Amino acid sequence: MDDLDKAILILFDESGAVDSDLKLKAKEYCDKIKEEAAIYRICIERLCFSNLVQVQFWCLQTLHDVIRVGYSAISPEERYLIRKSVFSIACFEGLDDRNVVRVLEGPAFIKNKLAQVLVTLIYSEYPLVWSSLFVDFLPHLSKGAAVIDMFCRVLNALDVELISLDYPRTPEELTVGGRVKDEMRQHCVSQIVRAWFDIISMYRNSDQELCTSVLESMRRYVSWIDIGLIVNDAFIPLLFELVLVDGLSDQLRGAAAGCLLAVVSKRMDHQTKLSLLQSLRISRVFGLVNKDGDSELISSLAALLTGYAVEVLECFKRLNSEDSKGISMELLDEVLPSVFYVMQHCELDTTFNIVQFLSGYVATMKSLSPLREKQLLHVGQILEVIRSQVLYDPMYRDNLDVLDKIGREEEDRMVEFRKDLFVLLRCVGRVAPDVTHLFIQNSLVSAVASPSDRNVEEVEAALSLLYAFGESMSDEAMRTGSGLLSELVPMLLSTRLSCHSNRLVALVYLETVTRYLKFILENTQYIPLVLSAFLDERGIHHPSINVSRRASYLFMRVVKLLKVKLVPFIETILQSLQDTVARFTSMNCTSKELLGSEDGSHIFEAIGLLIGMEDVPLAKQSDYLSSLLTPLCQQVEALIMNAKVLTPEETPVKVTNVQQIIIAINSLSKGFSERLVTASRPAIGVMFKQTLDVLLQVLIVFPKIEPLRSRVTSFIHRMVETLGASVFPYLPKALEQLLSESEPKEMVGLLLLLNQLICKFSTLVHDILDEVFPTIAGRILSVIPRDVFPSGPGTNTEEIRELQELQRILYTFLHVIATHDLSSIFLSPKSRGYLHPIMQLLLFTACKHKDILVRKACVQILIRLIKDWCAKPLAEEKVPGFQSFIIENFATNCCLYSVLDRSFEFRDANTLVLFGEIVLAQKVMYEKFGDNFLVHFVSKGLSAAHCPQDLAEQYCQKLQGTDIKALKSFYQSLVENLRVQQNGSLVFR
Amino acid sequence: MALPSQQPVDYPSFKLVIVGDGGTGKTTFVKRHLTGEFEKKYEPTIGVEVHPLDFFTNRGKIRFYCWDTAGQEKFGGLRDGYYIHGQCAIIMFDVTARLTYKNVPTWHRDLCRVCENIPIVLCGNKVDVKNRQVKAKQVTFHRKKNLQYYEISAKSNYNFEKPFLYLARKLAGNADIHFVESPALAPPEVQIDLAAQQLHEAELAQAAAQPLPDDDDDTFE
Repeated sequence: MDDLDKAILILFDESGAVDSDLKLKAKEYCDKIKEEAAIYRICIERLCFSNLVQVQFWCLQTLHDVIRVGYSAISPEERYLIRKSVFSIACFEGLDDRNVVRVLEGPAFIKNKLAQVLVTLIYSEYPLVWSSLFVDFLPHLSKGAAVIDMFCRVLNALDVELISLDYPRTPEELTVGGRVKDEMRQHCVSQIVRAWFDIISMYRNSDQELCTSVLESMRRYVSWIDIGLIVNDAFIPLLFELVLVDGLSDQLRGAAAGCLLAVVSKRMDHQTKLSLLQSLRISRVFGLVNKDGDSELISSLAALLTGYAVEVLECFKRLNSEDSKGISMELLDEVLPSVFYVMQHCELDTTFNIVQFLSGYVATMKSLSPLREKQLLHVGQILEVIRSQVLYDPMYRDNLDVLDKIGREEEDRMVEFRKDLFVLLRCVGRVAPDVTHLFIQNSLVSAVASPSDRNVEEVEAALSLLYAFGESMSDEAMRTGSGLLSELVPMLLSTRLSCHSNRLVALVYLETVTRYLKFILENTQYIPLVLSAFLDERGIHHPSINVSRRASYLFMRVVKLLKVKLVPFIETILQSLQDTVARFTSMNCTSKELLGSEDGSHIFEAIGLLIGMEDVPLAKQSDYLSSLLTPLCQQVEALIMNAKVLTPEETPVKVTNVQQIIIAINSLSKGFSERLVTASRPAIGVMFKQTLDVLLQVLIVFPKIEPLRSRVTSFIHRMVETLGASVFPYLPKALEQLLSESEPKEMVGLLLLLNQLICKFSTLVHDILDEVFPTIAGRILSVIPRDVFPSGPGTNTEEIRELQELQRILYTFLHVIATHDLSSIFLSPKSRGYLHPIMQLLLFTACKHKDILVRKACVQILIRLIKDWCAKPLAEEKVPGFQSFIIENFATNCCLYSVLDRSFEFRDANTLVLFGEIVLAQKVMYEKFGDNFLVHFVSKGLSAAHCPQDLAEQYCQKLQGTDIKALKSFYQSLVENLRVQQNGSLVFR
Repeated sequence: MALPSQQPVDYPSFKLVIVGDGGTGKTTFVKRHLTGEFEKKYEPTIGVEVHPLDFFTNRGKIRFYCWDTAGQEKFGGLRDGYYIHGQCAIIMFDVTARLTYKNVPTWHRDLCRVCENIPIVLCGNKVDVKNRQVKAKQVTFHRKKNLQYYEISAKSNYNFEKPFLYLARKLAGNADIHFVESPALAPPEVQIDLAAQQLHEAELAQAAAQPLPDDDDDTFE
């Protein structure tokens, strides 16, 4: 072992016994050797004589780099030497020395690396320099398994490194790949196929593993070689024989099936394809799948049968002659039972392909109505397949019920697995609605009666089918209870399930009832049944907290839809919810348990919707409301009073508690409309104002607790909607608190609130906005970049995304200000200092931002400002310097140069809209600035873009005209014209 | 197999190779496991960080030596040399950057050249980010190559254990293996709760001054 060997061993050490200094030295040593001119010689030599796999790997890796990168620097003689040596290693040619190391006897990863090196040689030398490579290889195959195996590896490597379209390729690689394929097709493919055939015939009994490798690499080539080489009287019988013979290994049989699948899937015209499919006599393999099991062979056969069925279906769809349609339908009828069987009885890794095929098949049936008897039979079978697939295994019943780790995992898996199956179910439902209805009803009936060891799972599956099916049902069908629905829904509501205590059953039951609510809307006699399903121990009072919380949410949906019809039941509903309401806001809850969307707070929303209706008499209404609000506000007040004496351990619990209360109040208020609260029943409004007063205190007492801040903010959002303008007196205090020390994320929240206020109240919020604008502008301008965000690796961070979000919302904010007659805010004495940086930012963004919609917003802002701030020509300037800023910077940079850039894509719809705004901006500038604008634009802008005189004159005419459309289309042609004249030179790319 | 400063362990251990484009979050992912982070060994010379991550299964403890092959220059480092003797692997991409998914086949090819027939998990990271570029439906590569696919969010610990559990089951040839105890994870930096996310967005929408349609919930389905 010499120094290089040692260094390589140290470098590849995995034992951890080497210290890093030594490793560093070893690395430097190896790197230095790599620099040597004759490095390829060193590599080849070592490859032949070292039996250390690390050394071999290093040599092959280095050689690969040399060929890939430095090959052009190597002389033709030396290249010849490299070629010859690599080739002889791959062919197992002994050099004269007897001690020669045989790479082909080494581990797989060395052989694969060697194959990669050889393919890199093919890349640069085949066929121009080395056209005989494959033909040269073939005679060596007679040396036996080692060389054959290597040959397969080379073919596989050629496929993945160069030919297969599954990998991203550069245009150059695609060209080379095409060239290699052409050359091979012309000169050696037939010989290679012949070799494959001979090897399999010869080794099928003695070395099945080798035959498997050969078939697997052959499979990769079927798609692009002459199919006649495989589809003939020799090869097809051989492949089927391999699949069918019992004594062979599953791997070999599976590989043969894989080749048949490649043959079946080969692209060709459909008539030819149909003849091919017919000639295969695929029914030969049906017998194999009917043996239950989960072998590798069954998966391969399932893939073959599905692939076959897909192709037959395709032929049926594409071919028009009666004859061809008949044949393909016949073939399909023949293969389908086996496809169903495989799906139902075998545990497959993925049933995805089968489901896809079945969806395709069902979709085709749509055009065939009415369905033949056989097809109806198939529909029934498909439904049965779906049902059997969506069943949970009773083994997981307890896990799923208590939702432990295993249960959660199983549920996730099933949810994912069911997705495609339910899509299929809905397809079937559309093609054969009556069959599907009946099937679901029967499933439900038989599930309810099923023995207890399967009862839970059967019921859950039947309900899930009903639930999934409802998704595609039209409102109309739902309302009228079309088909069997008018029997199904009452049956669902009146059936008592023995397994209702099970979490999954209870959940899907409630979901299903909710889904079919529109039927109840028209059939109100069932309302009491619906209410008790939600209010008793099947729903909100279910022993499982998961069920009761979900039930709260779903009950809210029920109330939303049925509320007017629920007025007579309000008293009953409130009574039965008392305990639930109290539990939600009680003092001792832990944070983890409750926060999240399914926290049960929807019960308050439901109650709010019920008691907020005008149909409820005022006296009742304020009783209800105050009985809910008063205790909650008292709790918050008590907390606020005690805030100072809270220990650090207590604080998180209290914070969570306050959050809960705010959520509850927030949800409750959603049921009360602005009209009711401010106009018809102001007494109710007073109650909410008092509440707001209390909650704003929270911001003062717990100023830096982000979750509370965002809860209070969302409550303010709500109160803006509910209380309307009467919320104003509360805003200054609220905004002041929200502004203090806010992070970018919180600033986004604040801007959203301001945007809401501006949109709702326009100029009415002028004074409030005027007060906070300077602080906001200062804060944001100090954190966001004035030009572009950094890009490239490492910049996709949370912090940058937050800033981008902030930047985006800032533009919305400015846009909202400008478009709601509030542009004077920018000019007020306190804000004046930010005018310049804001203008620069708007200009830059209007020209360069990568998001076209943001650019459009900025152009619109500037247009608005021009209109607001600039009177007719010659009048005194309202904002000194603004006019010249617009004319000298905005007009040229944004309205001309940014659109001349070729990245400004006229075929993009958003860009076209932006362009429209840019044209409008010119029009507005002309109206306001007259010739001041025009002269500058033509003399500085257009002339710098080498605009011919006549076009510039036309531009002036169009601009002075009244037809904005004509101006727009002229300006577009002008820009395109100038781009051509620039011909990519100068500044415009 | 052991690493400097670490005693070899007397329970099963496996070399796990983590590959994927730069910036997809490989390092963040392994660092979520706190013991692994504590005991990790950085090998600056060969540009790899090895984190020993222990998990507790119903069949006893197992260890994954996670080879986080980040930041190697194109022709330095050992590149596919790190994969030698790899027993299982994770290929990571970033659902917010399309190109990282496009490169998955290449990573898979390079991995399989050196490690034939090892169990591999494909992980789509950063599912907590709002602007996804690669939707779950567009992820199909795993179907072609029979890999397991998980959506994860390293920052929120979402599905952190899933890839390891899958690999443990495959390596042990036993589908009944479960983790009985959670490893110590760094606290989530962001909360992921898809339903909460929707709710949050609904609240924001409400704030945008436009009245919501009455049955707004239906749009979530």
